[in-house]
Amino acid sequence: MIYLKTVGQYLFIFFIILCINFALPRIAPGDPAIYLVGEDIQNMSDEERNNVLAEFKLDRPVLTQFKHYIAGIFNGDLGTSLIYGLPVWSVVLSRLPWTLLVMGVSLVITVLIGMVLGIVAAWKRGGNKDVGSLITVMFMGSLPPFWIAMLLITLFSATLEWFPSFGAYAISAEPGSFEFFVSVLDRLFLPVLTLTLVNAGRMFLTTRSSMIMAMEEDYVMMAHAKGLKEIAVVFKHAFRNALLPVYTYTVLEMGQLIAGAAIIETVFSYPGIGNTIYESVIARDYSLLQGCFLIISISILLANFIADLGYPLLDPRVRRSVTVG
Amino acid sequence: MKRFLQRYTSDKRFLIAGTIILGLLLLSSAFAPLIAPFDPYAQTCTPFARPSSAHWLGCNDMGQDLFSELLYGGRTSLFVGLFAAFYATLVATAVALFSGYIGGRVDTILMRIVDVVMALPFLPLVIVLGVFIGPGIGTQIFVIALVMWAPSARELRSQVLKIRETDYIDASICMGSSSVSVIFRHVLPELMPLVIPQFIRIAQSAILIESSLSFLGLGNPIIKSWGSILFFANTRTAFLTGAWLYWVLPPGFCIALAVLSFAFIGFSLGGKAGMEYKPYGSFIRKLRKKGGQHPKGKAMVVDNLSVVYHSQGKHLAAAKNVNLSLNRNEIIGVVGESGCGKSTIAMAILSLLKAPSEITSGTVYLGEKDLLKIPSDEFYRLRGKRLAFIPQNAMSVLNPVVSIKNQIVEAIQTHQDLTSERAGERALELLDMVEIPRERADSYSHEISGGMRQRIVLAMALANDPEVLIADEPTTGLDVLIQKEIINLLVKLKESFSLSVVFITHDLPLVVSFADRLAVMYRSRLVEQGRMENLLKAPRHAYTKGLLASFPRLKEEKRWRRPLVGNKTDPLMQVINVSKTYRASRRFPGRQKREVKALRAVSFEIRKGEIVGLIGKSGSGKTTLAKLMMGLEQPDQGEIIFNSTHLHTLGSFKRQAILRDLHLIFQDPYQSIRNGMRILDVISEPLKISGMAHTANIKNRVREALDEVNLPTGDDFLNRNPSELSGGQRQRISFARAIVNKPKFIIADEPTSMLDVSLRQGMLGLMESIRAKYQVGFLFITHDLALARHFCDRLLVLKDGVQVEEGESDTVINNPVHPYTRALVDAVREPDLLDPDKNGRKSA
Repeated sequence: MIYLKTVGQYLFIFFIILCINFALPRIAPGDPAIYLVGEDIQNMSDEERNNVLAEFKLDRPVLTQFKHYIAGIFNGDLGTSLIYGLPVWSVVLSRLPWTLLVMGVSLVITVLIGMVLGIVAAWKRGGNKDVGSLITVMFMGSLPPFWIAMLLITLFSATLEWFPSFGAYAISAEPGSFEFFVSVLDRLFLPVLTLTLVNAGRMFLTTRSSMIMAMEEDYVMMAHAKGLKEIAVVFKHAFRNALLPVYTYTVLEMGQLIAGAAIIETVFSYPGIGNTIYESVIARDYSLLQGCFLIISISILLANFIADLGYPLLDPRVRRSVTVG
Repeated sequence: MKRFLQRYTSDKRFLIAGTIILGLLLLSSAFAPLIAPFDPYAQTCTPFARPSSAHWLGCNDMGQDLFSELLYGGRTSLFVGLFAAFYATLVATAVALFSGYIGGRVDTILMRIVDVVMALPFLPLVIVLGVFIGPGIGTQIFVIALVMWAPSARELRSQVLKIRETDYIDASICMGSSSVSVIFRHVLPELMPLVIPQFIRIAQSAILIESSLSFLGLGNPIIKSWGSILFFANTRTAFLTGAWLYWVLPPGFCIALAVLSFAFIGFSLGGKAGMEYKPYGSFIRKLRKKGGQHPKGKAMVVDNLSVVYHSQGKHLAAAKNVNLSLNRNEIIGVVGESGCGKSTIAMAILSLLKAPSEITSGTVYLGEKDLLKIPSDEFYRLRGKRLAFIPQNAMSVLNPVVSIKNQIVEAIQTHQDLTSERAGERALELLDMVEIPRERADSYSHEISGGMRQRIVLAMALANDPEVLIADEPTTGLDVLIQKEIINLLVKLKESFSLSVVFITHDLPLVVSFADRLAVMYRSRLVEQGRMENLLKAPRHAYTKGLLASFPRLKEEKRWRRPLVGNKTDPLMQVINVSKTYRASRRFPGRQKREVKALRAVSFEIRKGEIVGLIGKSGSGKTTLAKLMMGLEQPDQGEIIFNSTHLHTLGSFKRQAILRDLHLIFQDPYQSIRNGMRILDVISEPLKISGMAHTANIKNRVREALDEVNLPTGDDFLNRNPSELSGGQRQRISFARAIVNKPKFIIADEPTSMLDVSLRQGMLGLMESIRAKYQVGFLFITHDLALARHFCDRLLVLKDGVQVEEGESDTVINNPVHPYTRALVDAVREPDLLDPDKNGRKSA
């Protein structure tokens, strides 16, 4: 029952996203045809123009256009990319895995580092050492991601020449070979490092404050009264409960993490979705831009959905309860 | 402002640092045209010039001075950040107030919109929107605000929901406030401190987003900003030449500093910087040599125990030279008011005191061992094994995410080397012992009732056959009948485990019914201890005498005897055959429709100057009845007539006029008065609601009311904040607020139950004087049967929404008709000074 409701909510949000994606070029000021067909349309004669519009079905009523748009999405037809001359769908799908790779790896590292340090900080809080580490963490979190990326490139690529700063793999390497694998790791290092530096701080602060709150709870005192050792109390009772807000936070921040990745990809010329968005903006390739936006929205939605389904495993309180609106 | 800072900031160093950095950045940007040495838009030097004395940071590819660019760049970045944050916070607050306060369908729709916005990948959305709307600072502010408001709206809404649930909001509604004035008078002021951190958070992100957009070249490239400086530096590959040092680093640092200043302020306002973490058991012990020696034959002996709390240079003695001895297989009751040091002693015995406290003297012998000599990191072998503890707040001591069986298993395995299966078996046996059906073993604490939770805690405490059990207020907050069950169980288990129990409570009548000995604490000292009968017969200390006298006995001569009003006057409040059913809304077909019959055919009358007691446990319909009588809800059936007006048919405007004559006093004096208001504003609220505007008149009425409740009436007091007052004073403020508008009828919902015993008498006297002076009719809601009998003229007993008994107090108590009333009367076991054998304790 709960799952059904969740699915319903997600389908609703998905539908809204489709509508926004459809509406974006149409509500923009100026001639929507420019956004949908390309700038050339301005230089055409009226007849040519009408032909082109007809080809893109832009002369039909909005509702019909919407039907075609929805049908297109389910048939995998998102139009054609101007820059690549390929179907938007295939361009987007070829870029998605790279984004997922950078995102996934940095997310795992960020969560692990942020959580471990957060627990330790909450436990050993107070004193100058804690204030020092807090300032460090907040400073790291305040640095603009793209700027860190630029400095890392300056240091590791330009000066030390340890890591390449371009692309996702060596073009010379044969896909599937060991060499290829190493070249992927080589190029993954700096983007992941950047994202981790930027995002671990927020994770750290969230964990720290949830832990501090959990450690004030009455069940922590009960655990002590049972005779548990400090470390068992911290991990079995305080952390087990602090995990819930941390989990929720991570899910909510997923969008932000992807956003950070978009810029990082651009700086490292990493062939992911974020970089593709940038390319399509620069080249005024609006179909591609729409496609990228759609795929990112769907990815975030899916990630949220999976996380939502996982939450009851962590918190028994939502497992059997029925929400009464 | 000062009060705000004290209340909501945790670490001032962060706040000061953040404000200084932000201030400097704002000033340098605002005065950029005055400070900047050159016009950043003009070519003033050779392109790519290195730093020199004239051009501190050198020049860019266009020959523009980089330092001047930096100063001007701050204007754009900070402007966009602050304005985007301002608009986003404004929208978020409005949505939160609207959605959270009004609720219902509006709330559902707004929250769906928030869900959608939050599911959108915001940076790509900002980029896409920016492209479609066109570049420019206005666009940036618009799109950043557009995507940033949603998380704040959700966060603030949940705060609004919390605020809406508080008693002071209910109180304001009961006084007749409209929604709009409740929002502006209470919700918004209370929400403001939480709005500011949201503003800070958004500003922080907005500055980063702005710089990212400009860096990607998606801002307005003509206008200088820190991001666009970096954009040009990047496109001119400044970072591959030596130029990165003066071209790339400074703007990046500026962005970082701006964001960091907001982060500092936000962190400080977030209130979680946290004081130093003090683990349990981290107290200081500076024991003077030698206390007592190990006495034979006793289960535990506390000798000369003193505890001092150190805070901010003050040294507060929490326990002074306490001696307490516990025989084997006996229960000693420790009674005293809140703050008298009862819990401190428990924590000291268990070595669970936290750091600012110090044990300055004493010994605690448990058998052969002096517990205070055992290092705290070895104490865990004792705690939970020989020495068990039931902490205060039994309702929340269970871990919410671990099943109850696993929590008992944990208690067992901490001290016994058993396999999981054996420990599981043992846990089930313990469940049997505390009379919980085995099939509940896999439940979680939210799925079981308060009484069951208390049993589970008891099972955990007894898991390792302890010698001594210390129970700190273990039954507080439970219903009377459940209290009785738990106590019976405890006494039974005491026998079978041959357990020695220290039972700490504020509830003297409760502990008298089963404890063997009694110890009385007063102001950090243990003033008296001895066998229960002796102590009850001949209390020596003045405090004990007062304490024993302050509890009216159920069966003694009625203390407040008023001439019976009878049928001589017209009834003031008539409740005729009233029923009310709540239905859970049916969203999905197939889900069972749930109905709660809150009230079924309730009828009674209250006359002028009469006090009627309403008795019933939580969930019996007391609150619903009060709401109906205040006209806040409509009955499904029946009539409520107040002063010959039909309350249930009134429109909201007329109801507001009627509420001048009706007042509801809440149980909890801390919750029902909002701390952010001056005392003058608290008490004058009913006057303002009923349209009084003249300040001097208002002040005079407030002074009269304060005088009536025996509180100071000076301007100094009127301007004070309620948070500085004690519980008793706060409840007097509630009464002052109740009578300021001279109402005809007052509903008092357990007005004395949260107060210490010594204050209750005064409060009852106050109510009696109000009754006598203004001939106010009272409905007195309580669970204390003895008090109700003495204080009320007539009693009404509710059980599950049904009125099971109604009549004169003496008749109801002496000859209860309904079995439920009889059970309630039986559950009252009380100190009987003259005849200790007759009060039922021997049979327990």
